[in-house]
Amino acid sequence: MAGSVTLPGRAAVAFGRWSVPLLFGQLDRKEGCLVPVLASLCDLIHDPEKLYQTVTGGFVEQLKVCLEDEDPAVRRKTCELLQLLTGHSTGRQALLSSSLLPPLSEMLDDSSSSCRRNVHLVLNGIAQLPAGAHALLPLVPKLMLKLSQEEEEEEVEVLLLSTLSCCSRVDALPALASDGVPLLGRKLSHSSPSVRREAAAAMMALSVPVDGKQQVCEEQILPVLVDLLQDDDLEVRTNAAGVVMNAAIITAGKSLSLELNVLPVLLDLLSERPEEEEERRRRKALVLYCLRALTSLAEAPKGRRLLREQLPLLERRTEDRDQDILRAAQTAIRVVTWTP
Amino acid sequence: RMALASHSHRDPGGTYTFSSRPRAVESRSKYREPPAEQYYGNIMYDRRVVRGNTYAQHILPTVSQPDLAEVQRQQAVRKRILARRRAAEQLRLRTPEPLQGRRHTDVQTDLFLEELSEVIEATDTECQTDEFLDRPATPLFIPAKTGKDAETQIEEGELFNFDTEVQPILEVLVGKTVEQSLLEVMEEEELACLRAQQRAFEELRNNELAEVQRLQEQERRRREEKERRIAQQKEVLKKERETAEKVAALVYTQQYLSSLLPAVFGSLRDHGYFYDPVEKDIETNFLPWLVAEAHANLEKRHASRELLDSKINLINSDYLLLGLSVSQRRPQSLFQFK
Repeated sequence: MAGSVTLPGRAAVAFGRWSVPLLFGQLDRKEGCLVPVLASLCDLIHDPEKLYQTVTGGFVEQLKVCLEDEDPAVRRKTCELLQLLTGHSTGRQALLSSSLLPPLSEMLDDSSSSCRRNVHLVLNGIAQLPAGAHALLPLVPKLMLKLSQEEEEEEVEVLLLSTLSCCSRVDALPALASDGVPLLGRKLSHSSPSVRREAAAAMMALSVPVDGKQQVCEEQILPVLVDLLQDDDLEVRTNAAGVVMNAAIITAGKSLSLELNVLPVLLDLLSERPEEEEERRRRKALVLYCLRALTSLAEAPKGRRLLREQLPLLERRTEDRDQDILRAAQTAIRVVTWTP
Repeated sequence: RMALASHSHRDPGGTYTFSSRPRAVESRSKYREPPAEQYYGNIMYDRRVVRGNTYAQHILPTVSQPDLAEVQRQQAVRKRILARRRAAEQLRLRTPEPLQGRRHTDVQTDLFLEELSEVIEATDTECQTDEFLDRPATPLFIPAKTGKDAETQIEEGELFNFDTEVQPILEVLVGKTVEQSLLEVMEEEELACLRAQQRAFEELRNNELAEVQRLQEQERRRREEKERRIAQQKEVLKKERETAEKVAALVYTQQYLSSLLPAVFGSLRDHGYFYDPVEKDIETNFLPWLVAEAHANLEKRHASRELLDSKINLINSDYLLLGLSVSQRRPQSLFQFK
């Protein structure tokens, strides 16, 4: 038979236990071209066992040198590798405890766009973990700056917004401090649905603290949101409903929403009742947010008056099977029928 | 081990000595083991056995320590033997040296002459093989035919069949790719599950967060409202109290002050603060002047009367001096003296 059969563009892989250490040894010694070695490593790391071996063998630190290599292909592959690491909990924790975050944040300004995209993938992976989001909080101003520069492609924008929303869920203050709300408001009217979805999600995270709510009301975001509530994409509608829900908690939000005639829109969203389980599950979030928004709006006298007429609709929702929707509907009814 | 139990050495006489310390007898078994296989050696080939004539053998001297005289005697003997040999050599008869111009040669005197030469007659022979002729081809050995005739032929493509050869390679390639893709798909599924779970959690969390915030807000509003109302109430109460106090104070002051005015006026008038200016003026200016003038007038009169009195006194005294009485005095002379 012929010699070792390898896929093109990949280095030879040793058998069993030695596969990962050998490849890392090759990386360390820097023999020849590093890209095939990194490609083989990428293939191997998909296997959880090998990933565990990489993490516990302490090989992650070696990747730091590769991150600072001159060849953009090497950097891109290394970032791909790191992104695969973030797919597992041990990998995420190893990344967080290693010193790789500063070089990664420097690579945000890298010259090659594919490198930047991969770095964003890595950061997004890290941000899914709460501890990771916490560690990424110092980077938030820089990320906001990147967002405002608007020279990135759509995919990168989506990733950036997703990272920002994860970080803002942990702590929204840095993003608010760097003018998050106006910036995201501009992104809400982007042409691509994924960008709108992520921007709305980030806005929802930002509107949790009171400052955020006030800014949302002041910066004229609510009219845009009312448009988004009638968007085609379900996720966009869900997230927009979430922002309205958060904003309607403060009095200014309530009055603005009532002025903009948000109530009928929300009621429309509630009244659609698809029959399949799958669709129902996906709409669950939308229904919950709408109910909560209506509850907040019902605390204003004008809203209460309007909603009292719509009481049957709400009562129909109490017959829903899902526990959370049931509870939310009951709360809504309670608030609507409250008299001082 | 430096101190061995036994030691042997060659002493200067050339003898071999051996001495050993007493040793305890080694314990050995009571019964001998069955005799091991004995190797019988041939005495003829045993090196330890002396061969040949033993008369002239060099035997070891019986004395182990030959003394110095013996050694010297032996050396002398040796020297004597050597000397004797040399002497014998000297005494051997030789032919005298040849005279000048002559030469001695050896001659054979036998009947038959022998050639004495050291040159060994040798003949040179040489042999040369014939030039190699090409070996004629061996005639084809065709053995008698035995067995069956069979023939085989390699057809085209039988040695190497691409399809079968490529299969293992394909298997490896496809297997690796499939394995890799399986891993990746599993990983993606896992991630998708995780994300779905995370999303569900996030939704619930957002929901509950909104609810919590709404309730908080409600609480805050109600509390503020309550506080405002309480503050308002307090304000009202305070105002009422203030007005009551004011009214009471007003009444009291009125009462107090009602009697104040007449009293004040009375006391002022008593102290003389109300006066008629003309009267005052008269009092302060005119009257003192008047009084002063009157006083002055009176003073003058007083002075004049004093003078008069003094004069009278003087006159009186003069008259007394003169002894005259008053009745005799003449009124005109009074004025004279003046």
